[in-house]
Amino acid sequence: MHKTLSRRLMAGLAAAMAVGAGLGLSLGGAAAAYPERPITMIVPFAAGGPTDVIARIVAENMSKTLGQQIIVENVAGAGGTTGSTRAAQAAPDGYTLVMGHMGTHGAAPALYPNLKYDPAKDFAPVGLAAGTPILIVAKKDFPAKDLKEFVAYVKANADKVNQAHAGVGSVSHSTCTLLDAQLGIKPTLVPYGGTGPALNDLVSGQVDFMCDQIVNLVPQIQAGTIKAYAVATPERSPSLPNVPTTKEAGLPDYQVSAWNAIFAPKGTPQDIIAKLNNALVVALDDESTRKRLLDLGGVIADKPGRSPQALNDLVVSEVARWTPVLKGANSK
Amino acid sequence: MAQQEERSAATTVRHHIRGPQNFAAGLSLIGVSILAFWASSDLTQGSLRAMGPGMLPRTIATLLALCGFILIAISFVKDGAPLERWHMRGPFFVCLGLIAFAATVRTVGLAVAGPLLAIISGFASPETRIKELIIFAIAMTAFSVGLFKYGLNLPIPVFIIPGVVYY
Amino acid sequence: MDIISHLALGFSTALTLQNIGLCLIGCLIGTLVGVLPGVGPIATITMLLPITFGIDPVGALIMLAGIYYGAQYGGSTTAILVNIPGEATAVVTTLDGHEMAKQGRAGTALGIAAIGSFFAGTVATLVIAAVALPLTKLALLFGPAEYFSLMVMGLVFAVVLARGSVLKAIAMILAGLLLSTVGTDLETGEERMTFGYAPLADGIDFAILAMGIFGFAEVLRNLEVTEHRDVVRKAIGRLLPSLAELRQSSPSILRGTFIGGVLGILPGNGAVLGPFASYSLEKKIAKDPRRFGHGAIEGVAGPESANNAGAQTSFIPLLTLGIPPNAVMALMVGAMTIHGIVPGPQVMTRNPNMFWGMIASMWMGNLMLLIINLPLIGLWVKLLKVPYRLMFPAILIFSSIGVYSINNSPADVVFTAVFAIIGYGIIKLGFEPAPLLLGYVLGKLMEENLRRALIISRGDLMTFIERPVSAGLLLIAATLLIVAVLPSIRRSRDEVFVE
Repeated sequence: MHKTLSRRLMAGLAAAMAVGAGLGLSLGGAAAAYPERPITMIVPFAAGGPTDVIARIVAENMSKTLGQQIIVENVAGAGGTTGSTRAAQAAPDGYTLVMGHMGTHGAAPALYPNLKYDPAKDFAPVGLAAGTPILIVAKKDFPAKDLKEFVAYVKANADKVNQAHAGVGSVSHSTCTLLDAQLGIKPTLVPYGGTGPALNDLVSGQVDFMCDQIVNLVPQIQAGTIKAYAVATPERSPSLPNVPTTKEAGLPDYQVSAWNAIFAPKGTPQDIIAKLNNALVVALDDESTRKRLLDLGGVIADKPGRSPQALNDLVVSEVARWTPVLKGANSK
Repeated sequence: MAQQEERSAATTVRHHIRGPQNFAAGLSLIGVSILAFWASSDLTQGSLRAMGPGMLPRTIATLLALCGFILIAISFVKDGAPLERWHMRGPFFVCLGLIAFAATVRTVGLAVAGPLLAIISGFASPETRIKELIIFAIAMTAFSVGLFKYGLNLPIPVFIIPGVVYY
Repeated sequence: MDIISHLALGFSTALTLQNIGLCLIGCLIGTLVGVLPGVGPIATITMLLPITFGIDPVGALIMLAGIYYGAQYGGSTTAILVNIPGEATAVVTTLDGHEMAKQGRAGTALGIAAIGSFFAGTVATLVIAAVALPLTKLALLFGPAEYFSLMVMGLVFAVVLARGSVLKAIAMILAGLLLSTVGTDLETGEERMTFGYAPLADGIDFAILAMGIFGFAEVLRNLEVTEHRDVVRKAIGRLLPSLAELRQSSPSILRGTFIGGVLGILPGNGAVLGPFASYSLEKKIAKDPRRFGHGAIEGVAGPESANNAGAQTSFIPLLTLGIPPNAVMALMVGAMTIHGIVPGPQVMTRNPNMFWGMIASMWMGNLMLLIINLPLIGLWVKLLKVPYRLMFPAILIFSSIGVYSINNSPADVVFTAVFAIIGYGIIKLGFEPAPLLLGYVLGKLMEENLRRALIISRGDLMTFIERPVSAGLLLIAATLLIVAVLPSIRRSRDEVFVE
């Protein structure tokens, strides 16, 4: 009985494999040139968010250059560290990439003590794709006209002011914690489960201010339902030409943007990295891809910033920058 | 039949308990509550002004235990339903099948994981005819590949032999 | 009148050959993924996003919206046929819908669900067209305190919807609340009750919990009864509801549409409460509430209408405030931004074509869904004749692939196995799984809003009573609870906790 059963099982499996083979498998060989099958790009966040949108726009064009489809796979969880961990542990063959960002490859070591990867050591950087600038915004009847008044008001009324953020580890949380640290203020933090609900309560005036990526905020600012004090980039954003930079508004040290960059697992061969980087550079120079990214309020990486080495330097400096800020905030 | 026997056994051996199902239900609630207290023991309680992460889980666990004690109390004073028999065969093979699917879907691919799940879980039912099931499992898997991989474009691996085939 | 010119503009946009085609494709795909347990609109819209790059934004959004409400229709089919609720809103449909299917009335249940949904969709479309803007002001009245009170009201519904012991229902709600606290704490980022196990850090996905505790536990239960295990145990009756049944359900459809439509406007995912509220109401005002849970047609008609009305009106916060009320809507924001339209308060004036076109397409989509779904009923009912020994492996394969595809994570499939055992045990101990699921769904929203409200009020509990909307909701909740619990106490002292 047992024997026939297992024989039947084997027959079943063999048939299943035949079905698989019949559907057309691409057999691999060492001789063939990379890439010979679709590439998976892990986006460590839920679909529809800023990182996901940027990944999809860039991946679409990169697919054309590489001659193979890049499949975006959303592996959300734990502030993006779940997907990044999976990418770090994947085979270094160039077929698994990850769209990391400021959180997963900058702030994560400070926020997650049990992090299973080192952003600087466990990845082979491919290149910086695009970033989205950070804005400081407040509810529309907040009693401060500009950034200077805002700082003065928050300092004077520290116990009254509520600051919203989209959850510990989110971009809005990290960047605003940096702002608080630089200003030396301690507002009451009101946590939300994402930018949407936080923005809702900012529009309806339940909370006083927050920091977040420009793409989420532009329509509200244009409609006048919230007001913007400053954008934390060296230059003004084309989508909000009336909002001053932090430098113009008197807070030059507050320079921060939610950058997104492609990483491969450590040990990925140099020629594959070079091919991927080239495809990325081509994508970032493509007219329609640029337009799509700029429409989002995104800032496309400049030419020297796109090399693997530049990305490596960025990761090292970001980890060094966020660790004291976020560790200090968490231990209070 | 079996239920009848169990009922009579229950009433003679544990004749104090008049509602065995409620008694067991109450015990399980208390068990869950203890588990929750243990799992949340490292979380801070906080105050109303700044509720800690542990406040709500512990409050709920307390209420849950309270429900458990009331159920146990009722089981002593009031006749209730008897305990139902647990059938082990179904849960065992269905879960084994699901675990086999989980273990193979990313490592070998859907072409193997699908039939494996169907065939292992097939043992859960005494009515299963193995030949029919194997054919059906392969057909369902082929259909799923067509539907999920091609129709819906989901990134699900179909067949993998590490280093040789990846599809 | 404005509404007529707006709708005319909308229909002139939506009624092009291309857009009708895209709407149809969206509805078909939506129905398909809704029927497939676990897959759901989120995974599908994600996968289809790149395909829409080549289409103009209005057409792309019409198609994606079609997937969304198509999935709502399809989801009720699975809930009725195999007792697997794909989304929180379909939980209620399983209660009486699946009972009806077991009695050989699957066709009637599916038919009334489709008709109710179409009616609700039509009304909701008109409501959106007429009063979308003023309604957003209402939405902004809701802060954390109001949402907390709303969720408390929702938990009271869970007590009402239980068919057995009130005490056991309360215990299940508490268990659901407890499950919802598993995961990363929103405020401190600490992991709560995850036992240090990383995949639990984001809590438990609803689809995984529902699949295990409802769907797979049902499979296990069916496996143990050898005599009558086929889902349809009796002869299959008529395929469509009779006139008498239509008349019987029409007041429920009206009430369901109203309740679902109003709750859907709230940006804090109020739509999720709609079906529960409708079911509780129908059960409370029914002449014989005992029929509920045993195949009462009002228990399908009302909640299904509420579900679809809510699905439509939940576009209001997205389109007029630019704030997505749930995960699918968040994805729609992503889709819009990819197409260069950033949803916000100005979409209506800046992209009137898209705004009104989408609204017109909603009605069109609902009509298509009715036309698609009514003939399909015959097919679905035939599927139920597949012998159970083959049916359950098929359910398991489809569900496992669906669960896997949520996060592309095999561990999630193992979780459903664990929940299947728990669900089996729950039934064996005389508990009901529905209140647990409602407790779970509302738990997160309730805790988050409670904590936010208390942070903003600096720990003052009076905030829930001082704010009029919140106080009103709490008052309704208290009244409902008394109405729900009193009869079972009064009925007879011996029967306090077992009906």
